[in-house]
Amino acid sequence: MELLTLTAQFEWILGKSNYWASTVLLLIGLHAMISKNNLIKKLIGMSIFQTGIILFYVSAGAKHGAQIPIVHYGHDSHESHDKAAHAAEHAADAGQQVAEAAAPAANHAADATHTLGETLYANPLPHVLMLTAIVVGVATLGLALAMVQKVYAAYGSIEEDEVLDAIADSTADSTADNTVDSTVDRTVKGTPEA
Amino acid sequence: MIWQLDLILLIFLVITALISLRVRDLLGASMVFGIYSFLICLLWAGMGAVDVAFTEAAVGAGVSTVILVATVYHTRRVTGGHKRASGMKLLSLLLMLVLGGVLLHASGDFPALGDPTSPANNHPVAQYYIEGSYQDTKVPNLVTSVLADYRGYDTLFETVVVFVAGIGILAVIGVPTARMRREEVCGDTAQFGEDSDLIILQTCRLVVPVLQLFALYVIAHGHHSPGGGFQGGVLFGASYILLALSGGLREALRRLSESMSFRLAACGIVIYAGFGLLCMALGSSFLDYAILDSILPGGVAKARSHSMLIVEAGVGFTVTTILFVIYANLATRGKLEGGL
Amino acid sequence: MSLFFDLLSGSMMITGLVFFVGTVTGMLRFPDFYTRMHAGGKGDTLSTILILLGAAIHVFEDFFYDPLQWGVLLVMVKILAIAAFIMLTSPTSTHALMRAGFEDAHEADETVVDKDQDGPSLEELQSGTWEERS
Repeated sequence: MELLTLTAQFEWILGKSNYWASTVLLLIGLHAMISKNNLIKKLIGMSIFQTGIILFYVSAGAKHGAQIPIVHYGHDSHESHDKAAHAAEHAADAGQQVAEAAAPAANHAADATHTLGETLYANPLPHVLMLTAIVVGVATLGLALAMVQKVYAAYGSIEEDEVLDAIADSTADSTADNTVDSTVDRTVKGTPEA
Repeated sequence: MIWQLDLILLIFLVITALISLRVRDLLGASMVFGIYSFLICLLWAGMGAVDVAFTEAAVGAGVSTVILVATVYHTRRVTGGHKRASGMKLLSLLLMLVLGGVLLHASGDFPALGDPTSPANNHPVAQYYIEGSYQDTKVPNLVTSVLADYRGYDTLFETVVVFVAGIGILAVIGVPTARMRREEVCGDTAQFGEDSDLIILQTCRLVVPVLQLFALYVIAHGHHSPGGGFQGGVLFGASYILLALSGGLREALRRLSESMSFRLAACGIVIYAGFGLLCMALGSSFLDYAILDSILPGGVAKARSHSMLIVEAGVGFTVTTILFVIYANLATRGKLEGGL
Repeated sequence: MSLFFDLLSGSMMITGLVFFVGTVTGMLRFPDFYTRMHAGGKGDTLSTILILLGAAIHVFEDFFYDPLQWGVLLVMVKILAIAAFIMLTSPTSTHALMRAGFEDAHEADETVVDKDQDGPSLEELQSGTWEERS
C-alpha cells in the first residue's frame, strides 16, 4: 500500500518536473535582472529568463514516445483513406490542377499502413514559436551588449551604482554650468532613467 | 523522453544558472552561460524539439558566448566586491518567493508532462498542422512548414527584428569616421592572416569552406531534416566570425564588407516581403503562396514548397550578415579595427 | 553477433567515460595552467572520439543485419564525420588556449616558464637570442 503511494507520488513529480525547473529558472533570471549590480550579470539573467520561458513552452508540447515533427513520407503515409477521399472531393470542386495533385496523394493513401493516430508526432506549434523567441533573444542580447559597451565608454564602469553616481555627478556639474559645451561628448549628458 | 536523463539535466541546469550568476570573473560567467545553453539544448533534443535545439546550439551556445566574451574584453573583466543597499535585494527576494509560490501552486493544475491528450496537444490547430500540412505543402518537416508557410507573417517580422538589431548596434556604437577610413584601406593586398598563429590559421582555413557548404545544405535541406533559414544563416554567419577570429577582422571584412552586409540583409527582407507582395499582385492575399501555382511548376503543394525555400533563403541572407555585423561591431567597439 | 556489437560499442563508450573521469581529475588536481590544459586537451579529444565511435558501431549493427538500408549507413557516416571534425578542431582549440596563456605568461607569476631557470622568456624567444645550454 505504501509502495503504491510512493510510486504515485513519484509519477506526480515526474509529471511536473519541467514546469518546476522552468519556474525556478524564471525566478533566478528575474532576480538577477533586478538585484545584480553588474550590467553583464543582468544580461545573463535576462537570457536565463528567456530560456526558462522557452523550456516551459517546449515542455507543454512534449509527448511521451513521440517522433520528432518530421513526417515519414516514404513507407508510411500519414493520410488515412477517408482523408484522401475528402481531398478528392475538394479537388472536384476546386479545379484541374488540384485534382492532379490529389491523384498521387490518393496513391499514397492506398499504400498507407499507419494513420496519424499510430505514429505520434511531437506538437510542432510550440517549436515554431520558440524558434522565433530564440532568434529575437539573441538580437536583444546583441543590442543590449552594445549599450553596455557604450555605458562603459561614457562612465568608465559597468557596475550599476557607480554608473548612477557618475550620472548624478555629471548632471550636477552641467546644471551648475548652464551652458551647452559642444566639445563635450554628448553621451555623457544621457538621461538618468535610461 | 528518458526521464532519468531529463531529471539530471534539469538539476544541472539550475546549478549552472546559479553558478554563472555568482562567479565574479565575467569571462568565466560567459563560459558557464555557454555550458547552460548546451545543457538546455540537450534537454530540448530529448523532448523531441530538434529544430529548437539546433537553433539554441548555434545561436545561444555559439554566438551569444562570443559576443558576451567580446563585451567583457572591452569592459571590466572582474566584478563583485560592491555591497549595494540590501533593501532592494530583500524586496526582490520577497517578490520572487511570492511569485514562485503562485507559479508552483498554479503548476498543480497543469496536465502531466508528455501527456498526448493534454489540451495543448489536442488543439485542432496543432492537429491540423500534423495531419494536413504534408498534404498542403509537400514538406515533411512540420516545423519548417508552419514557420515559413502557415505562420510566415511572424517569420517576416522576426527577420525584420534581426535587421533592426543590426541597425541599432550600428547606431549605438558605430563610429562613422573610422568606418570610412576602413573601407578605403581594405582594398590593399596584405597576406592572409600574416600575424596569426599558423596552426589556428590553417585549421580554420580547412574548416571554413566545409562550414559554409554545410550551412547552405542546412538551409536547402530544411524541408526534410531539422534546419531551415535561421539555423543555416547562423552557421554561415559563424563561418565569417571564425574567419575574423583566426585571420583577423580585416580578412573577414575584405570578403564581406559592412556595406555589403547591410545590402544583403536588406535584400533578404526584400525577397521575403517581395514574395508576399507578388502573391498579392497575382490576386490573392499577402504571403498566400498557393496562388503562385500559376507561375511555378508542379502543382499547388509544390508551389508552396518552392516559395518556402525561397523565403528561407531570404531569411538566411539577413541572419548571416547581421550576425557578422553584430560580432564585428561588438568586438571592436564600433571602429572595425583592432579589438578582439 | 548482436551481443558482440553491443559489447563492443558499450565498452568503447565506457572507456571513453573512464578517460573523461581521468581528464576531469587532471584538470582539477594538476598544479599549473599548462599541465591542466595538457590533461584537458588530450583527454577531451580522445574521450569524445571513443564515445562517438561507440555510437557509430551501435548504429552500424542495424546496417549489418540489413545491408541495403543506406539511410542507416548515412547515419554512421555522419557520426564518423563528426568524430573527424572533433579530431581536427579540439586539439586546435587547446593550442589556441595554451598559446593565449603563454603570451600572457610574462605578466603572470605562476607559470612553469618563469620559474624554470633554464627556460626562455617571451622576449628571448621572439628575438631569437636564446641559446640552449646543453
